[in-house]
Amino acid sequence: MLSPLLILAEAAGRVPEAAADSGITQITDRFGLNVPAVLAQILSFAVVAFVLWRFAFKPVLATIEERQHKIDSGLKYAEAMQAKLAATQEETAAIIKKAQVDATRIVDEARKTAKEFLDKQTQEATAKTNDLFAKGQQAIELEHKKMLADARSEIARLVVLTTERVLAKKLSDADRAAYNDTAARELSNV
Amino acid sequence: MASAAKQVQQLARQFFQLSFEQGALSPERVAGVLAYVEKHRPARVVAVLKAYQRLVAAEIARNRAIVEHAGALGEPILASITAAMTKKYGRPIAGVAQRNDALLAGLRVRVGDDIYESSVASQLAALAAAV
Repeated sequence: MLSPLLILAEAAGRVPEAAADSGITQITDRFGLNVPAVLAQILSFAVVAFVLWRFAFKPVLATIEERQHKIDSGLKYAEAMQAKLAATQEETAAIIKKAQVDATRIVDEARKTAKEFLDKQTQEATAKTNDLFAKGQQAIELEHKKMLADARSEIARLVVLTTERVLAKKLSDADRAAYNDTAARELSNV
Repeated sequence: MASAAKQVQQLARQFFQLSFEQGALSPERVAGVLAYVEKHRPARVVAVLKAYQRLVAAEIARNRAIVEHAGALGEPILASITAAMTKKYGRPIAGVAQRNDALLAGLRVRVGDDIYESSVASQLAALAAAV
């Protein structure tokens, strides 16, 4: 690869003699610089730099930029996910809180309903008991009255029967005749 | 069936109407009706005779005062009751005495479906019912 550069340097060595006498020539001579070699070095450096830039640095920079982009995207995604997580946590907390409130309300309603049901059952049982008690009292009173009426009827029947037997034995014909006279007068005025 | 029973009642009622003479039930007319029935034998004769007997008995009871009594019943008493009933019903009522010791003392007069009573037994029954 250096052969073309050396050929260029030799060609450059064949410049006219007039230029050798200029200031630049004197400087190069004084500092021992070989201009064609320097030019060749610069050119080869440029070529190498271009090649490196074109095929090494640029892909590496592109890769780095791509990775940087990916990292930025990842960070943004992480931030978004974090925000989303926070929102989700808040939402979850709100849902849990609402569920707790609902659960408390349902429990309270269930307790209230149970208490009302218990009160109603108690009232019904009390009413039924009172009703049964009243009916029992009425039945006892009716039975008592019926027993008294039966006893009264039986006593009356016995009294009448006894009286009839006594009168049948004790009434004389004269008594009957007198009673018949009275009855005849009574019936004649009907 | 209902029609046959109705015919029996109608025939018995006709015989019953023929049994009256001058507004009163006549034994001769009744005997004549019975002779006619025996001779001609209408349909369902037994039922007709039973219905006729009921009507005649009711008519006899209408004109008769059965005086039930316990103990002796004098003729004047029976006559006074008969007169009172005749006056009350406005038709001649015949008095018939009938002994009934269950009355204990007193009288019970029955004219048709009407009953008049003044007896110890009825008063005791009233007492028992009141108690």
